Amino acid sequence: MAYTLKIWGEFKNYQSACYRNYAYASEGLRCMGSTWSPLAPLKGLGEDVLIIGGEPHAASTAGTFPEEGRDDIIAAEIAGLGFHSCSYLKLFVGEVVRDKIAITDGTIKEGYPRPDLIWTTHLCSQHSKWYQEVSRLLGGIPIYAIDMVGGGDAEKDPKIVNYVSNQIEKGIHWLERVTGRDFSDELFIKAVRNEIKVLVLWGNICSLNMHTPAPLDERRLIALFPPAMVDRTTDETVRIYEALLKEVRHMVETGQSVAPDQRYRIVYFGLAHTYGHPEMARILRDAGAEIVASVYTFGTAGNFKGIVNGNWTWDPIDPAWVDELDLSTRRKAITELAKIVLGWPTWQGVRSYWALESMARAMITQYNADGLLLAPSRSCETDFRNGYVGMQRIFKSEIPTVEYDSDQVDVRKMDLPGAKRKTELFVHLMEAHKKGGVR
Amino acid sequence: MMKNSNSIIEHFHHITENIHEYAKSLQSKGHLVAGYMCTHVPEEILYAAGIIPVRILSSHVSQAMTRSYMHETYCSFSHDCAYQGLTHNYDFLDLIVTSSSCIHMGEAFNVWVRFAGFQGKSFLIPYPHIIHTKPAVAFMVESFAEFKQFLEKFVNKSITDEDMERAIKTYNHTRRLLKQLWEFLRHEDSPITGSEVATVTLASQFMEKQEYNQLLEELIQKLESGPGHRLPGVRLMVSGGACDDLRIFDLIEHLDYSASLIFIDSCTAARYFWFEVPEDRADKLQAIAEGYINRIPCPAKDNVPGSGEKKRFRFIHQFIEGFKPDGVVLLYQRFCSPQPMDIVALKPILDRLGIPSIELELDTTLPRTQFQTQLEAFVEIITGVAP
Repeated sequence: MAYTLKIWGEFKNYQSACYRNYAYASEGLRCMGSTWSPLAPLKGLGEDVLIIGGEPHAASTAGTFPEEGRDDIIAAEIAGLGFHSCSYLKLFVGEVVRDKIAITDGTIKEGYPRPDLIWTTHLCSQHSKWYQEVSRLLGGIPIYAIDMVGGGDAEKDPKIVNYVSNQIEKGIHWLERVTGRDFSDELFIKAVRNEIKVLVLWGNICSLNMHTPAPLDERRLIALFPPAMVDRTTDETVRIYEALLKEVRHMVETGQSVAPDQRYRIVYFGLAHTYGHPEMARILRDAGAEIVASVYTFGTAGNFKGIVNGNWTWDPIDPAWVDELDLSTRRKAITELAKIVLGWPTWQGVRSYWALESMARAMITQYNADGLLLAPSRSCETDFRNGYVGMQRIFKSEIPTVEYDSDQVDVRKMDLPGAKRKTELFVHLMEAHKKGGVR
Repeated sequence: MMKNSNSIIEHFHHITENIHEYAKSLQSKGHLVAGYMCTHVPEEILYAAGIIPVRILSSHVSQAMTRSYMHETYCSFSHDCAYQGLTHNYDFLDLIVTSSSCIHMGEAFNVWVRFAGFQGKSFLIPYPHIIHTKPAVAFMVESFAEFKQFLEKFVNKSITDEDMERAIKTYNHTRRLLKQLWEFLRHEDSPITGSEVATVTLASQFMEKQEYNQLLEELIQKLESGPGHRLPGVRLMVSGGACDDLRIFDLIEHLDYSASLIFIDSCTAARYFWFEVPEDRADKLQAIAEGYINRIPCPAKDNVPGSGEKKRFRFIHQFIEGFKPDGVVLLYQRFCSPQPMDIVALKPILDRLGIPSIELELDTTLPRTQFQTQLEAFVEIITGVAP
């Protein structure tokens, strides 16, 4: 019998509360930017910092309000953004253009809440352009983008860690200057520990899916990682992820799963594409196939041991390690934060085909997978199509591997019939492979 | 010594059409040859190691094979460059190098390394994604030091400061000569056309620099001593991404209406050389880093921390003031993301300056008739609005 998560409501509430606070607050400091940024520096500015992150907001808006999402994308294109640009970006910019914001609690607020500053990252060729455009449309919001040089084992390369740390340090001075506020190292260091803790906890939760049956399926994973994306710096986020870890550990101990029928275990490389994802999941579920590991849900807001002795491992980091971290000075805290953020798996494959391959190989082995499903996203040039076509070439002779095209939130780019056919074919391949019919 | 400027230009043109033949001739003279995929690669370090850098460019041949290696939504330039590797057109190269540049070209590099047999002879230089910052310089110095170390092992000799300084000066000389050449286009009377300047500039990206400098010096001398000709019709500036298809520049100058190409802001033209590396510095790598950090930024790397400013726009403004175009052709590769993202912000600036603009999206092959119609309509707009 399928297990029902007890903690789920708290996750949903946390995410909605963050967005509500951002959208409706009458005071406090509104900060916008990629949630793929180190967020703790913002919290050094006070206890009234409200955050909105581009990717999770765009994803959740498309999920909650599909029609609004489409209109936002069209509005952004009418405003000049190209058809091939990132659809998260366009949905986000479209809200600015239409001067309204839709949030996960089901409300739409007229009048786009103007941010006080933009704190973001630059890694892919569109990421910082995204916020440059938002800043321009809103009449010039101060913007600070941190250059994140990813690729394989960036968090272990002192040159890269130092580069990112220096930028964060300069960024803190910038934050003081543009807000006129004093920066509190005490609040910052507390937020750093929380941020690192949440990322490590999520890595531990994901690692429990190595067990049979895997306690969580892709749908739950997609629903459970947003709080870590939206704002992972608070005591409340640590509390809910600790509670989730405890609950999932209990599921493993008692052999329970939210989707217990797992004849085939799948490793998935691709985003939660709003359109078509439920259809693919249904085809898989009907065949008793479940996605038990994905670089998107695991690696967008989770940390693992990464490259060890030249090879990737999805082994989790001991949460106790976070408690022992020496964060006694601002610089030490910045350095640890830079390392954890640079260590996100989703970034490692961007500049490094060998890291991507190593990640996939390790995931297939450690999660005992029967198949590799690749869903490159047509408008995500960085993480979710980079190298995927090449991966199919590499893995197809080793394990059933199928690739279908998707898109983050743009329905026009989703080839639903084609994706369905390929997913069905994927199931047949796994069946044949299991019977020994396909080598 | 060649007879006249036309024969020198024709020589450059011949080389641009026979890149492989030219690169192989360098090898037959005993040079090592390295292919590079992005102009952020500090060529000076390769040159100091005795290696001739040759830019990997596209072939403009319609092809499908790369689609099973790279997603179709990568730009046609990156697909075409990947194709060059997969068809083994560049197997003769001793080395392939790139710096972390735009994602698309990074993917083309990955294809060469993973699938085209370059795994054992490749180097990726970690490079900042945002330039024009102080932390970026320090990072580049360390990255360049690793690259230098790799090259020393590769050529089995140490690269001295003298080698580095010689390379810096040779490359700066090229840059100054190219600027001199482009200066002709500022004036209404020029002894050389824009498309010819584009050809000569493209040749600089894969020719041995001393040989190139000698030829270019000779060309400039002859142009200076020869008569200028009035650049006809409307003055068009091109701004955008990599474009090694010289036919588009030729087309601009051969429309049914009279038009002249007077400037190209792209990494295959002005952005390639419009900077210098400080000379006679004690720390050569620091000097190279400072030089490269102050380049006209590629749109993929253009975001000044703190203001979010796109610094390239300042340069575009300067070029507009200096070269006085009547219109701007915004030219970019299909599926490129940073270039069109800049256009959204650039167009209102051009509008404020009263300069009409048009967007052309490039693909592997040139849609000549389609572009001709668009460009002619554009000239009609300009002549209708220009005083």
